Amino acid sequence: MDCGPCDSADPIQMVKPEVIDVNLTISETAKNMLSDAFGDDRSHALLVGVLSGGCSGYMYDLQIVETTDIDCQELSIDGFRVLVPNASSHLLDGIEIDYVEKLMGGGFKINNPNADSSCGCGESFS
Amino acid sequence: MPIVALPDASLTVWRGKDVLQFIDGLSTNKVTELKSGQLIRTIFTDSNAKIIDCVTLFHMDEYIVVAGHLPFHEKLLEHASKRILGQDVSITDITQLNELFIEFGCKNDSADVGAFSSEGEITRGNISGNMSLIVSSKGKGPSNLENFEIFNQWRIDNKIPWHGFEITDSFHPFACGLEELVHQQKGCYIGQEILARMRSRGRQGKVLSQVDTLDCKSSNITTLGEIQSLAIIRT
Repeated sequence: MDCGPCDSADPIQMVKPEVIDVNLTISETAKNMLSDAFGDDRSHALLVGVLSGGCSGYMYDLQIVETTDIDCQELSIDGFRVLVPNASSHLLDGIEIDYVEKLMGGGFKINNPNADSSCGCGESFS
Repeated sequence: MPIVALPDASLTVWRGKDVLQFIDGLSTNKVTELKSGQLIRTIFTDSNAKIIDCVTLFHMDEYIVVAGHLPFHEKLLEHASKRILGQDVSITDITQLNELFIEFGCKNDSADVGAFSSEGEITRGNISGNMSLIVSSKGKGPSNLENFEIFNQWRIDNKIPWHGFEITDSFHPFACGLEELVHQQKGCYIGQEILARMRSRGRQGKVLSQVDTLDCKSSNITTLGEIQSLAIIRT
């Protein structure tokens, strides 16, 4: 097998979506849950990302972080720091972060106007 | 054992720390446990569980080499590239530097299936008990090649689906006889819900079958043989 140029050849140019300034909202129930999670310490941030995979092609990825190496845009929403990776900004503009209280399938939910379809568990969209 | 050339095969190098996780999230087989020196076959499927490409992954330690089918190459790259987002994955095309071959009718030891070895400029991997995939640098591959028709006849006799015949974007993996490449326990990937539903309900619509050539409707035949053929027909 000849992988001669593997180290030096340019990778195939991938589709690089446009980075857009994200607007997002957080529902009252989600704010309450975030307040419980963060407490008075607002040095941490909610990282709202998207990974490939899931039944529908993209999966939401929510993390509480202090800092990140990911190239992000930072938003301040009602005193909460929210980080959105630039690479997935086109998929997250206009979303609402909600919190659903249910015994099964409860937790943070993303309502995404960009999603054509979502899988049953709500973690994946396309 | 007889060997045929695969002139319509593609070969790419996928690099980055997230590569296996990335491919696992987009294809039917569980690839995250692949180790250096091992290979695995997996299928990229769309949201309708139709095949985008059936590929063989070679774990080359520092990167993954993906052998696929050239007519599906662009579609696969488009499908994958828009989902890389912030993950550490990059792809380089090395199709033009290499040639691929299939050795068929082998008797590979079951313990060696899923392993590959390299000697000089030739890499040989056992993709099943009776087939090996050979990748060589351009012009360095095996000689004394068989005609592809002989390979097709062997496929008909052994009910083995192939790219461009049974493995096309018109079918899902179960319909073209690739059940063993759809892992039952792995997590979500595109098309997984449909395949899981088919499997749990025991209903998959069409299946790959050996049929008598003269008795089968010609539009159902995928690989034509003189006496027997392969066809994808409703059960």
